[in-house]
Amino acid sequence: MKKMKDSRTSSIVLHNGLIAVLALFWLIPIIWLVCTSFSAYSGMNTSTFFPKEWSIVNYQKLFHPDSVSQFPQWFLNTFIIACFTCVISTMFVLMVAYATSMMRFKMRKPLMNMAVILNLFPGMLAMIAVYFTLKSFNLTNSYVGLIMVYSASSGLGYLIAKGFFDTVPRALCEAARIDGCSEARIFFQIVLPMSRPIVVYTVISSFLVPWMDFVYAKMILNAGISSKYTVAIGLYKMLDKSLINSYFTQFCAGGVLVSIPISILFMIMQKFYVEGITGGAVKG
Amino acid sequence: MAAQEKNSAASAVGSLGKAIGSFFRDFGTAVVKGDAFVKLSLLWMGAGYAKRKQYVKAVLMTILEIAIIAFTVKFAMQYVPKIGSLGTVKMEKVFNMKTMKSEFNNYDNSFTILLFSLFSFVVWLAAAVVWFKNIINAYVLQKMEEEGQHINTFREDLKSLVEEKFHITLLTLPVLGVVIFTLIPILLLIFVAFTNYDQQHMPPTELFSWVGLNNFISLFGGGGLTTTFGYAFVRVLGWTLVWAFFATFTTYIGGILLSLLLNSKKTRWPKMWRTLFIVTIAVPQFVSLLLVRNFFSNGGIVNTICNTIGLTGFLRSIGLVSTSYIPFLSAPGWAHVMIILINIWIGVPYQMLIATGVLMNLPSDQLESARVDGATKFQIFRKITMPYLLFVTGPALITDFVKNINNFNVIYLLTQDVYTTTNQAMANSQAKEVDLLVTWLFRLTQDYYNYKMASAIGIIVFIICAVFTLVAFNRMIKGDKEGTYQ
Repeated sequence: MKKMKDSRTSSIVLHNGLIAVLALFWLIPIIWLVCTSFSAYSGMNTSTFFPKEWSIVNYQKLFHPDSVSQFPQWFLNTFIIACFTCVISTMFVLMVAYATSMMRFKMRKPLMNMAVILNLFPGMLAMIAVYFTLKSFNLTNSYVGLIMVYSASSGLGYLIAKGFFDTVPRALCEAARIDGCSEARIFFQIVLPMSRPIVVYTVISSFLVPWMDFVYAKMILNAGISSKYTVAIGLYKMLDKSLINSYFTQFCAGGVLVSIPISILFMIMQKFYVEGITGGAVKG
Repeated sequence: MAAQEKNSAASAVGSLGKAIGSFFRDFGTAVVKGDAFVKLSLLWMGAGYAKRKQYVKAVLMTILEIAIIAFTVKFAMQYVPKIGSLGTVKMEKVFNMKTMKSEFNNYDNSFTILLFSLFSFVVWLAAAVVWFKNIINAYVLQKMEEEGQHINTFREDLKSLVEEKFHITLLTLPVLGVVIFTLIPILLLIFVAFTNYDQQHMPPTELFSWVGLNNFISLFGGGGLTTTFGYAFVRVLGWTLVWAFFATFTTYIGGILLSLLLNSKKTRWPKMWRTLFIVTIAVPQFVSLLLVRNFFSNGGIVNTICNTIGLTGFLRSIGLVSTSYIPFLSAPGWAHVMIILINIWIGVPYQMLIATGVLMNLPSDQLESARVDGATKFQIFRKITMPYLLFVTGPALITDFVKNINNFNVIYLLTQDVYTTTNQAMANSQAKEVDLLVTWLFRLTQDYYNYKMASAIGIIVFIICAVFTLVAFNRMIKGDKEGTYQ
C-alpha cells in the first residue's frame, strides 16, 4: 500500500517537474528581456545571460526623449488610436452580432455566408490596395487612416459575440416585444446588460489591436517622423543596424513597459472569454 | 439527402442565386402589372411614393436620383471613359503666358482613373439595386392601396428602423466598412495585376497601362529578362507551403499535448502554470520576436554560449557550420528550421488555450459512464477525448493553415535586416529563401514599388487561400450548430 502511494507521489513530482521545465523554457526570452532592460550597458549584452551591472538608467532615458526615442509620445499616440478603434470596433461587432443572432430577415443567411468567406481571406492581402486607396485620399501618415484600417472591417469578427447572444433566452425578448418594447430597447436594455462578459471581451480585444499590430502601422506611418510613430514602429526603429548598439537596452525597457499593461489586459480578456463561453452554456 | 444539400458551399451559392432570381421576378411582375405611376417610377424614382402620399420619401428618392445623375456627369465621366487606355496625357510643365509661370498641364493620373472608375462601378451597382428595389416597393404600395391597407407615414417608416427593420440600422455601417476596406481593395488589386504599375510607371509623373497577362507570364517563368521571377516564385511558393504545413501541425499537436499535461489531475496549481505560458503570448509579438531575433543573432548570447560549451566547434568539425558562429537566422536551412522552432514557442500557448477551452466543454456524462463501465484512462483518452478534440478543432486546422500561409509577423520580424540572400537569382527579384509570398509582396511594394508583380502574387495567394477556404467553408457550415441552444 505504502509503496503504491510512493510511486504515485513520485509520478506527480515527475509530472509537475516536466511542466516546470517546459515553463522555464518558454520563459527564458522573457526573463532575458526583463534582465537586459535593467542593464547599465546600452548595447546588446552578448557575453553573459545576466547583465554585468544593474541599473534603471534605461527606464530613465525612456522618459527623457531624444531624436530617436520618444517613448511617451509613442505611447500616447497608440493610446489615442486604440481608444478610437476600440469604440468603433466594439459598436460594429455588437451591432452585427445582435442583428444576425436576434433578428430574422431575408438577407441574414447570405450575409453570414459572405462573412465566413471574407473572414477566411486574411486582411493582409488587401493591404497594398488599402494603402493605394488611403494614399489617393491623402490619409497615409494620418491616424484617421490607421483607425479606419483597424476598425472598418471589424464587423467581420462578430462570431464570438453572436455565439453568446444566441444563448440569451428567446422568451425574454418575446415577452418584451409583446409588452411593446422596441427592438432597439431590447438591444440596449435587455440583451446588452445580460452580456457583460462578452461586451468586456470585445472591448478589450479591439483595444489591443493597435498595440499588437505591426504591419499596418509600418505601412501607413511611413514618412519617418519619429514623433508620429506608434509604440510598435518606434521600438522597431530602435533596432536599426546603426542604432542597435546604443538603443538595445532601451528597446528592452520599452518592451517591458508596453508588455505589462498589454499582458494584464490580455489575461483579463481571457478570463472574460472563458466566462462568456461557459456562462453562456449554463444559461442555455 | 436534402439536409446534406443544405450544408454545402454550392447550395449557399445556389440559395444566393435563387434570391437574385426571385428579386428579378418581383421586378418583372411589378413592371408588367404596375399602374402608370409604378411605370413612371422607372424614370422618376419618387413617382410611386408621391401617388401614395408618401411625400417625404418621394422627395428623398428624387434627391437621390439627382445625386446619382450629378455623380455620373460631374465625377464618373471624368474617369470611366478613360479606363480603356488608363490615360494618355503625360504630366508636363507648360509655360502659362497669362500668369507668367510654368504650370502643370491637365495630365492624366492612371491610378486615380483606375480607382475612381472602380468606385463609380460600385456606386452604379448600388444605384441599380436601389432602382430595382424602388420599382418593387412602388408596386407593393399600389397593391396595399388597392386592398385598402394602411400605408405608413414617414414618421412610421422612421420608427420601423428601430423596430422590425432594426437590422438595417445595425448593419448599414459595418457592411459599408467591409465593402470599402475589404471588397473594393480586393477588386483594385485584381485590376492592378493586369497593368504595368511599377517604379518606371509611377503616377502622377508617368502613366501606366493594361498589359494583359504579362505579369503572370513572367511569374510563371516565361519572358526574357524577368525569368528570375519565375525562379524565385517556385522557391518562395514551395517554402510557403512547407512552412504552413509544419507551422500548423507542430503547434496544433504541441498545443493539445500541453493542454492535456496542464489539465491532468496530477498537475498542482494548474492556473499558475497556464498563466506562465500565456505570458509569452501576451507580450506583443513585435517585442518578443524582435527580442528572440537578437537572442539568436550571429554575435548574440546563444552563439556565445554555444561557443563556450564547444557546440560551435563540434558543428564545424562535422561540416554543418563554416563560420565562426552558428548562423541561426542568417543562412538557408538553419533559418528555416529556426523559424519553425521559434514559431512553436510562440504558437503552442495559443493552441493550448483553444484546446483547454474545448476540453472544459468535454461531455462529462460520457466520461462518467465510460469510467463506470471500467474503461482505462488510456481507453477514455483514445475513444472519447481525442475524437472529441479532433471533431471540434479539426476544421480550424484548415483555417490555421491559411492563416499561416499569410503569417507575416513571424517571418518578417525574425528575418528582415538579418537575413540577406546570397543567391543572385533570388536577389534579382527581391526575394529571399525564407520569404513567404506575403512578405515578398510586402517588400516589393514597400521598398521597390513593384506594384504589378506584388498584385499578381497577391492574386495567386488569393487563389491558394480560396481553394483551402472552400474546403474549410463546407466543413464549417456543416458544423454550424446555431439553433441547438435556442
